[in-house]
Amino acid sequence: MRYRLSHLDKVFDVNVHIEKEEYIVTVNEEEYRVKDFAAQCNHVFMKIQGKKFAMSFAQDGDKRYVSHDGEYYIIEIVRPAKSGVRAAEQEANSVASSMPGLLIKMPVRVGEEVSVGQTLAIVEAMKMQNELHAPCDGVVKEINFKEGDQVDAFQPIVELESSEK
Amino acid sequence: MFKKILIANRGEIAIRVAHACKELGIHTVGVYSTVDENSYHLRFMDDSYWIGDSTPQASYLNIDNIIAAAKQSGAQAIHPGYGFLAENSGFAKACEENGIVFIGPCSRALALVGDKIASRKTVQKVGVPIIPGMQIADKEISIFSKIARRVGYPVIVKASMGGGGKGMRIVHTEQELEASVQAGRREAKSAFGDETVYLEKYIERPRHIEFQVLRDNHGNVVHLFERECSIQRRHQKIIEETPSTAIDEKLRRDMGEAAKKVIEVAEYTNAGTVEFLLDDRLNFYFLEVNARVQVEHPITEMVTGVDLVRQQILIAADRRIDLKQTKIEQRGHAIEARVYAEDPENKFLPCPGRILFLNEPSGPGVRVDSGIYQGWNVPPHYDPILSKLVVWAEDRDSAITRMSNALKNYVILGIKTNLGYLKRVMNTRKFVEGDYHTHFIDENQSELKLSEKNLPEVLAASAILFAGDERAFRASAEVAPSEYRITPWQELGEWEICRH
Repeated sequence: MRYRLSHLDKVFDVNVHIEKEEYIVTVNEEEYRVKDFAAQCNHVFMKIQGKKFAMSFAQDGDKRYVSHDGEYYIIEIVRPAKSGVRAAEQEANSVASSMPGLLIKMPVRVGEEVSVGQTLAIVEAMKMQNELHAPCDGVVKEINFKEGDQVDAFQPIVELESSEK
Repeated sequence: MFKKILIANRGEIAIRVAHACKELGIHTVGVYSTVDENSYHLRFMDDSYWIGDSTPQASYLNIDNIIAAAKQSGAQAIHPGYGFLAENSGFAKACEENGIVFIGPCSRALALVGDKIASRKTVQKVGVPIIPGMQIADKEISIFSKIARRVGYPVIVKASMGGGGKGMRIVHTEQELEASVQAGRREAKSAFGDETVYLEKYIERPRHIEFQVLRDNHGNVVHLFERECSIQRRHQKIIEETPSTAIDEKLRRDMGEAAKKVIEVAEYTNAGTVEFLLDDRLNFYFLEVNARVQVEHPITEMVTGVDLVRQQILIAADRRIDLKQTKIEQRGHAIEARVYAEDPENKFLPCPGRILFLNEPSGPGVRVDSGIYQGWNVPPHYDPILSKLVVWAEDRDSAITRMSNALKNYVILGIKTNLGYLKRVMNTRKFVEGDYHTHFIDENQSELKLSEKNLPEVLAASAILFAGDERAFRASAEVAPSEYRITPWQELGEWEICRH
């Protein structure tokens, strides 16, 4: 099985196959031999390159939340459709909050010209305010929420028409 | 003694208060907002009342609704916890007017300690040192600049009603002064509704050391030693310990006596915390009184053996403190780590969401004051604190090791938390040496960075999990992945690989 897996902003090519008693996993060309793989609910145990390795995990669709030795990782399958050029272009012009929260301020109107870095929305969560800025110069094409609305993480709040061609 | 207490809070502190109530045979009344109807604290309540919509203003800050719930339930007293209405003199007054005991200081003492300029003046009268600076609020910028020159730059502009770093400005030169005062006023006005700011000398590498004090209605007062709270991010504490590595016996005695004087001159009753700054020449200065049970109160409980919340309830019921200053001792060492739903790799931004998996640590000397459960959706409306991990051990080194191990065994998956970051703090050289001050986080960033040392192994193991979910892969496997086989090596965190 071949996967593109991401952690934070990095993407890795990972391939898994089975040979006799072992899993052979390559991570960006580097080979790891895994055996004695055992799972117990949310914990897995194995030997990687002959050394004992344990981690806890939880599953959420294409994501695995992982804890190993007191550190935390979110490993996600990168699906080809998502990395398409068009999707990337669209995303670049829509502004979303990286945390869910309450939309407390929407200082712009549809049709308004904005410049890069201008505050388009302020989202508040857990007593902290997060300002969302325009990623480029442009015109506000759509506003999907109003002040006082609850927004989820990565839900487009404002869509811009970029003036950069 | 009270028969019923309403706990006007949520999360771990509501549960902490409920434990003390139950041990005293007191019925607990919980309150909740709409989004909290499935929250963990309600499981510890004998009765629960809905007090409003999910925003704090509509519910946990809604004085009318909370008083109404107290009356309807027949509660004789209200414990406010920390945050929300805990230090709101208007709330304390509303309780007094409705014949309900507010478990905390009286509204007059609360108003005095809430006003920083007034409390500076009051404590100075009894000879407790304060940071050199303004004695009265002033509008004139010329007065600010005169006093700044007298105490010497750098100086700090602070909001009189302030807290949490809001309205604060550090000023290094006279040229910056006027703009900083104005910016501080604007911020103070929007955060606290009062634009009064004042100026004092800026202490450059301070330690933040506070003393826990108890005073009853009969004038008996004791202190329960210090808590060192210098490890902070965004002006909020994340790790606290006691005893402090910075102070010796004599200084401890002097600061403890000063703390008691502050509480006495303010005619303050119940549990209070006197905060001091300690400069690098070991001069201490009064900062403020925190008129509530502190988030970090458990470390004092661990070393003194005194249940502070129980004491709060007994004092509110007009009992005399049954503790003698000479009999209160610090035994061993305690550390607290605050577990927050936040992303340390992204400016500590809050990260609410669903907890998919939870494993809490246990063992000798390990205490978890938790407000969460597996499957719960952490709402975005409130403070991101999830729980507090507290350890006690005979000495500081053992306490650090115990905390480090407990953190490795504390697993919260599904949302981002600061657990990994807290563990890194435990391993930082300056922390281990006990040589730190309030800029610790900024000055030790390289040691506190996420290590990707084990990332390839994590990716490899994750890939096997992903593959294991695919039927075609499982069919191709000559040896089925030996799922659900119980192995003798089960404990997480014991297994370290690739130690180069």
